[in-house]
Amino acid sequence: MELAPWNLKSIAMPLDFSLLTGQVRALGASLRASHDQRISRIEWACEQLHAQADRWEHWCQQVREKHARAPWLLACPAEPLDVVRDLPRCPQSYGLAASDGSQIDLDRHGPAECYLVNIGLVLLRYGEDAGARLWTEPRLYYEEKDLVLVDDRGRRYAVEGPLVHATRDVAEGQMLAAIARELPPSLPRLALQDGTLIRWPFHGFDPFVRDHYLKGYLEALDHLQMAGIPLASYISRPRAPEVTGLVRLFADPELERAGSYAEADPCQGLIDQLIFNALLRPGQRGPLFMSMSRINVEHYDAHQIHFFYLNTGRELARVEVPRWVAAEPALVDLVHALIYDQCQRGAGYPVALARAHEQAVVRETDRRTFRLLLESTLLHARLSTAGSLKQASKERTIV
Amino acid sequence: MLTATEQRIGEIIEASTTSFTAGTYRFLEAPPFGSLVRANVRDGAIRIYGLVYDIRTSSREPGGRAAVRGGPRYDGQEFYDEEVYREHPDLQEVLQTEFSALVVGFEWGDGRIRHYLPPQPATVHYSVFSCAVSEVLRFTESCDFFRTILYASQIPADDLLAAAVRRAAAARKHDRSYLLCAGRELARLLKDDYDRLRSLLRRIGD
Repeated sequence: MELAPWNLKSIAMPLDFSLLTGQVRALGASLRASHDQRISRIEWACEQLHAQADRWEHWCQQVREKHARAPWLLACPAEPLDVVRDLPRCPQSYGLAASDGSQIDLDRHGPAECYLVNIGLVLLRYGEDAGARLWTEPRLYYEEKDLVLVDDRGRRYAVEGPLVHATRDVAEGQMLAAIARELPPSLPRLALQDGTLIRWPFHGFDPFVRDHYLKGYLEALDHLQMAGIPLASYISRPRAPEVTGLVRLFADPELERAGSYAEADPCQGLIDQLIFNALLRPGQRGPLFMSMSRINVEHYDAHQIHFFYLNTGRELARVEVPRWVAAEPALVDLVHALIYDQCQRGAGYPVALARAHEQAVVRETDRRTFRLLLESTLLHARLSTAGSLKQASKERTIV
Repeated sequence: MLTATEQRIGEIIEASTTSFTAGTYRFLEAPPFGSLVRANVRDGAIRIYGLVYDIRTSSREPGGRAAVRGGPRYDGQEFYDEEVYREHPDLQEVLQTEFSALVVGFEWGDGRIRHYLPPQPATVHYSVFSCAVSEVLRFTESCDFFRTILYASQIPADDLLAAAVRRAAAARKHDRSYLLCAGRELARLLKDDYDRLRSLLRRIGD
């Protein structure tokens, strides 16, 4: 590659498109080539699912035996593999609760040690006595017990970053369980969350920290189960490869070739979404599976998360439910119908979740206002408001 | 719609010396165009009067836009107008009705109405009230506020003035002597613009 003469005055240029265009073209050609290959892999995967459809219990057994050894993710079938359910009738009247959260993480360079969790909450009622309530519940965490977790051996864990996120996950679940019980029991009801119900990020924590947060979250699921309110979550554009993993197991049941899949993987480039996109028409759902994520298998017990794919007409979504919902066909039908209805009302994405997100989101201006509020309060309390010098240097460049 | 008693109708969300904007407490229930409303100032006996010159309903989220919701649904049922709101109960929570009023005078706790700009603007987050007939009568006794409207910029001034005069006349059971008096005042103010005067008088007499 020829370099520009160094003594020519260079002009600041954000992106050199003359160099980039060729690479973008090469990317296009590569995608085209893999596209055709992928189509045939999807067809092959669909055929496999059909061929093994009636042996789902056998494969369920196989997955349970082998999931710990398999180097890829696996889904455990809970229904025949060729199940395609048409859209059930949506009840005229129903009630829906949803929650979503955001947080302002602890800022070590800020004026005070604290973090904020803001939960957006939504109660919707359709049909008779239709109505809506949208609100937020912000909570500031600043006490010692919020900032540091101490295990029984005295080991201390600072709550920041992923642990603040975990605090928010737990708060989302607990508040959802609390507000869902305000829906009239005479109506079909649903509690809805955005994203996965499997708290897999907790899996990377120390066991003490993991159990601390998981206990809080699973308690919320206990409350919903006891109140008889089905819980579901909606995952837009899912990237999970768990059913794909099951198809790979069909081809290699003894995991003999597990190590050499880099080149000859029959499912290369496949994800579940692509497979079910080929199998489901708008409104239809595919079979139920149980996720074999370790945290789900080992810690969720009665709540073990199951999932199915749903064609909402606009996209292929993944819907997750706890085991006690998956076990009741009537509840699965309800979840199926209500989520589809929500997507239609919300131009492709469940209205309740969109509203909860709008409530919860903390904008940049909110962050600044929060910081100013904190500083002025500390000032009134005659406490030092000084942030760190590092923070000051970020805010003002000295030249 | 002229009522015997005043009512709390909205809350000020933007205020300046010459105008204020309020969000209504009830969705889609704004005071009519040209009606007289009153706002208060914190720490003072000032009561500010304004004439509603703009009413709008839009998303509470900045940049948010309403989408078409009516028409046939996936299950074949069709929804229009009021049914759209029934099918989407969240809409009333995410949409907001607002109105803006042009400041046309104030009262300073002594019962005397001044038809010029107040020393302080209305206070944000304080309520806006609709004015009862008696207050409308008192405010429109003199026609001095006509000038403020005629020379206000970026508002539909002629339509606002015509609507305000029509409402003042209605409060007097369409008394001819009031209309004559208002017409004379307008003729004086617009003596150099015959076309504008004629079009204004036509709108008042309608």
